[in-house]
Amino acid sequence: MDLSYEYNNQLYHITTTKKDNSYYVTVNDTTYTLMATEIKPGHLKLTLGDKIIKAIISPGQEERYIFLEGDVYHVKRAIHTAKTRDTRDEIRSPISGKVIKVQAQENTLVHKGDTLMIIEAMKMEYRITAPYTGTVTKIHFKENDQIDMGVTPLELQKQKNTKEEH
Amino acid sequence: MDVLDTKINTQSKEFKDNQKHYQQLITDLKKKIKQIQKGGGDKRIKLHKSRNKMLPRERIDHLIDPNTPFLEFSTLAALGMYNDTSPSAGIITGIGIVHGREVVIIANDATVKGGTYFPMTVKKHIRAQTIALENNLPCIYLVDSGGAFLPMQDEVFPDREHFGRIFYNQARMASQSIPQIAVVLGSCTAGGAYVPAMSDETVIVKGTGTIFLGGPPLVKAATGEEVSAEDLGGADVHCRKSGVTDHYAHDDPEALDITRNIVENLNRSPKTYLDVTKPEDPFYDPQEIYGIISRDPRHPFDVKEVIARLVDRSQFHEFKALYATTLICGFARIMGYPAGILANNGVLFSESALKGTHFIELCSQRKIPLVFLQNITGFMVGRQYEAGGIAKDGAKMVTAVTCAQVPKFTVIIGGSFGAGNYGMCGRAYNPRQLWMWPNARISVMGGEQAANVLLTVKQDQLWRQSGKTLSKKEEQNLMKPIREKYEVEGNPYYSSSRLWDDGIIDPVDTRLVLGLGISASLNAPIPDWRPALYRM
Repeated sequence: MDLSYEYNNQLYHITTTKKDNSYYVTVNDTTYTLMATEIKPGHLKLTLGDKIIKAIISPGQEERYIFLEGDVYHVKRAIHTAKTRDTRDEIRSPISGKVIKVQAQENTLVHKGDTLMIIEAMKMEYRITAPYTGTVTKIHFKENDQIDMGVTPLELQKQKNTKEEH
Repeated sequence: MDVLDTKINTQSKEFKDNQKHYQQLITDLKKKIKQIQKGGGDKRIKLHKSRNKMLPRERIDHLIDPNTPFLEFSTLAALGMYNDTSPSAGIITGIGIVHGREVVIIANDATVKGGTYFPMTVKKHIRAQTIALENNLPCIYLVDSGGAFLPMQDEVFPDREHFGRIFYNQARMASQSIPQIAVVLGSCTAGGAYVPAMSDETVIVKGTGTIFLGGPPLVKAATGEEVSAEDLGGADVHCRKSGVTDHYAHDDPEALDITRNIVENLNRSPKTYLDVTKPEDPFYDPQEIYGIISRDPRHPFDVKEVIARLVDRSQFHEFKALYATTLICGFARIMGYPAGILANNGVLFSESALKGTHFIELCSQRKIPLVFLQNITGFMVGRQYEAGGIAKDGAKMVTAVTCAQVPKFTVIIGGSFGAGNYGMCGRAYNPRQLWMWPNARISVMGGEQAANVLLTVKQDQLWRQSGKTLSKKEEQNLMKPIREKYEVEGNPYYSSSRLWDDGIIDPVDTRLVLGLGISASLNAPIPDWRPALYRM
């Protein structure tokens, strides 16, 4: 189950999976293994390694008050983060315009986020950036060329065996 | 609702450079406002106070409920005009809260040229009345003015939107049951005498408040009669004899307390219902907007990052997220009020215009206020787009914006060029309020484009007439002044001084400003939506 909680103006992404009697909880990339039993409604007994923790949880509408080792923590359910961005790894011109700068060179390595080309249209400069680390194999346009929207301005071959973040 | 994701790295050089640049813009803005709020300067202020009178901003402070915000309009009016002799155009206007309800306050600043009306003063006064009319808000006039600024009489007296319009509006407001209260705290001469005379209830201060059609010098010239101002039109005359005023006060604070009592007895009807929740701060820090807005206006920024820092809990329910991505549409809450947001994320195409039209209609039908975050270089041009009918699709959006009866609010957060300004609810489309950020730019087209268009026209003309062409130097000589003109006139301060907007605001304050605006708008009912005719 994927959950997002807000505490102290920080967002925590939490993934929980249950296997046999254990729960595997991943909080922002760190995984904890724990056992949990509900003693009575809202009262939890958690076993984390050799530590036993007792917590009392009192729910609000979208928030929870957690009484833990003498302190009260106020966390809020943040539902989940919108993932509506288009994350396809395509390189396309976002607009019809004029190529004003080609920064990439053929047969060179570029890193994710590097600016490869700049297209000018409608008073704005649009930067084509590398969606992933790789080698530029072919550049189809040179400076002052007209380029149409949706056209692939250059070819970028993804670097293999990369430990690149996604 | 989903929380918007962010890709901003607040530690990057890009972010920090942008932030530094923007902080300078904010410093400049605050400096200008501080300077302007001094009104007519120390000498005039001293003189004003020696007459036992309060300054206009002090009067407003006394009038409104303690610890409530005053949403001031057009603080920068007349900046750079009339040799800078008229800070704020000599009049303070805004929305304040009195006995828990919003009212429009219009206060003359007698330290600025005796509170006389320059062209921009008239415009600002009429704008404030329009806000009262549109939002059905009571209007309080804190009068302290010598009437029209005579050397500019041709620009303040004869035309439709000139001085006479003030009283025309007063009569119309009265006919729509909008309460009007005049507080005479100084001169109220000639035409100005109609301000209290046409109000529902009036207060006057003994010793400083005077009302007459013709002042003592004019009376002497006309009939030879010699009379003091107090005997001619003071508090005793008008409260005891003429009946022009209703309430007698001994000083400014007393007059303002009486005014509060008047408002307490207005018996206003309840506000329009809107599904309001408890306001909550955005999840991401609004200050980060400084680092998001590119310091080079030619570099686009992702407007979703801006939305994430303006709306409650950064929650945004996006409409058509994958379709026509250059116009972001979606629902959110601002200070607890529901709002339909339209924000530019690039040039407007046919699809973007259609998406925008659809979304505006959704909000119209659901009676949800609309917020336009304008950063638009225009509708896309070119053969392919003309053939695709972008003109008729743009027309649909302009029609939808025009006919939407829900309260509309526009914030120009970047560029505002050409027909994009129309589609995104520019000044001509009657947004209830229109605000600008200090990085904004506004003109019919970009300076570079205008210079090139004019150059092409000139070249063609010369070729037809003499078969000659322009040299590179001649071309530059022709283009340079046009670029410079657009640079000056596209500046937000140029806009704000001429009241093309209601003021320049710090991005961080945008939430509050919009919240106050939506709250004020609920004093008027939202009419039913009537769709217009669309060219299909």
